[in-house]
Amino acid sequence: MFSAMVKKEFLLVLRDKKALMVLFIMPAIFILIISVAMRDVFTQNSVSFDIAIVNLDNSKITKELVKDMSKNQNFNITKKDSAQIFITIPKEYTKKNKKLGIEVKESLKSDEIELFKSKLLKEVVDLKLKIIANRLREFSDEAANAISSVSLEANNLFELKYNEEEETPNSTQQSVPSWIVFGMFFMITPISTIFINERKQNTLARLSSMNISIFSFIISKIVPYLFIAQIQAWIMLGVGMFIVPLFNTPALVLNGSVFAFAFLSFALSISTVGLASLIAVSASSAEQASTIGGISSILLGAIGGVMVPKFIMPQSMQTLANISPMSWGLDGFLNIFLKGGDIFMVLNESFMLLTFGAIGLGISMYILHVRMEKG
Amino acid sequence: MIKIQNIVKNYGDIKALNNLSFEIKKGTIFGLLGVNGAGKSTILSILNGLTPISSGEISVFGLDIKKDIKKIKDISSIIPQNLAFYGQLTVQENLDFFAKIQNATKENFQRAIEINGLEQVLNQRASTLSGGQQRRLNIAIGLLNNPQIIYFDEPTVGIDPKSRNEILESIKGYKDLGITVLYTSHYMNEVQKICDEVAIISHGKLVTQELISETSNLEKHFLELTEDVHV
Repeated sequence: MFSAMVKKEFLLVLRDKKALMVLFIMPAIFILIISVAMRDVFTQNSVSFDIAIVNLDNSKITKELVKDMSKNQNFNITKKDSAQIFITIPKEYTKKNKKLGIEVKESLKSDEIELFKSKLLKEVVDLKLKIIANRLREFSDEAANAISSVSLEANNLFELKYNEEEETPNSTQQSVPSWIVFGMFFMITPISTIFINERKQNTLARLSSMNISIFSFIISKIVPYLFIAQIQAWIMLGVGMFIVPLFNTPALVLNGSVFAFAFLSFALSISTVGLASLIAVSASSAEQASTIGGISSILLGAIGGVMVPKFIMPQSMQTLANISPMSWGLDGFLNIFLKGGDIFMVLNESFMLLTFGAIGLGISMYILHVRMEKG
Repeated sequence: MIKIQNIVKNYGDIKALNNLSFEIKKGTIFGLLGVNGAGKSTILSILNGLTPISSGEISVFGLDIKKDIKKIKDISSIIPQNLAFYGQLTVQENLDFFAKIQNATKENFQRAIEINGLEQVLNQRASTLSGGQQRRLNIAIGLLNNPQIIYFDEPTVGIDPKSRNEILESIKGYKDLGITVLYTSHYMNEVQKICDEVAIISHGKLVTQELISETSNLEKHFLELTEDVHV
């Protein structure tokens, strides 16, 4: 009996090809757009400034400075007309310890100017050291070599230790899990519509007159969507790994366990169908269910760090984010992608998602039972 | 025999059925006549276990409706007034599904198709059938479990005269198969054409119960009711 019910649900779901396409295409497009659009925001190292340099000093050392800057990924040497920042190296800069002239042509934010200054500082200090080494060489090769050997590379100057737990994701690592989570919750609308159609076309009453239990009825309805959710998650993973890099954006690497990914995806889909069935049995029309489903998805997404990454939220909002199942799913996926998490690292999030889904399904069965008892 | 004794059904402050009693003999076609809102559909919902009664007693072939509703559901079938199948599925897929969930035999499956003349449209999507064909599919689904009792809830509403006559003729045929039929309608002529016995209800109360051969007062009672409604 149950297999017949599940087969019927699969047929109904597969007949609605347009809804299916939306479930797969919508999150894939979001992943692409957000990953590419947010690429530079999430990766400070790749920030580059368009600069134009006029070298009036024209010495060997300042020519080297220009050469070094053109190799630096933070600077993009361009023509004066298209430059954001215009740098003038004055005459006799090398000999008379003069200042560089810097003119910011485009309106840059203060933090961007600070970032530019810090990147330029390294190059200028390097230059000054070369000038000092050249002068010292007239007196002592040994002292000049000692100065020349000074490296201003951060890795050679200090050993940085930081809490890897707090590592922030790049744009792909942030957007893929975000839109896997949001894409799954987007299923609320088709799931609730299919529930409500069953009521509207009187088949629910007919099934009820045929000794079909509410448990079988609800579980058979969610099985196809659990499958769709898994396919959706793997396709989005593939988009992050193989499609996103085609747009000059970091590829997603599944650092963690495949089983952890599959288990977390399953737990997430249970929480989605739990919420969807709760909305479906509570709403009185498909329109009402679509509205409630859409709004709750967006709210849970906004709170849970899908729209705005949690790590840039203030502490109070980060705490609030923990009430959203989308946040639990997102944290779990970040554990896998960023920290190479295994199944034990996502157990906590998975358990919360499974519990949330089970409670949703339990309450919806109760509501449906009460509704049918009342006739 | 189906015995309905002093049943009351309240929806909040509204009394849908008010101390209603009547009996339906086994193997007969029993008509339940009443204007819209008389309580006909409520009785069918109760007999199918879809709605509980507020008070009173009902026994169906010796089974108590409160204790044995699962067994009663197994031996009965309702043909709802509104079409109750999946428009996106074909006729065959609909029949397959409802047959499997009721463990219908192949013979019953085939009989339901033949009685309702659905052989030619098995591969057609249910939503693309004509109004009459959709009604017949709706009835065929109700025959799959080889029921001893069939409840028809105004099955001819909104269909053309030809299909209507075909449906009425097929219902008469169920009597020959030993099936007890409860037929609700608000058309006097339909009830007179196919039923053995008729009860008229109004505002949830029994107005009269008569054999169809004694219909001298039946038409009078029903006309009075419809006039009341129109006034």
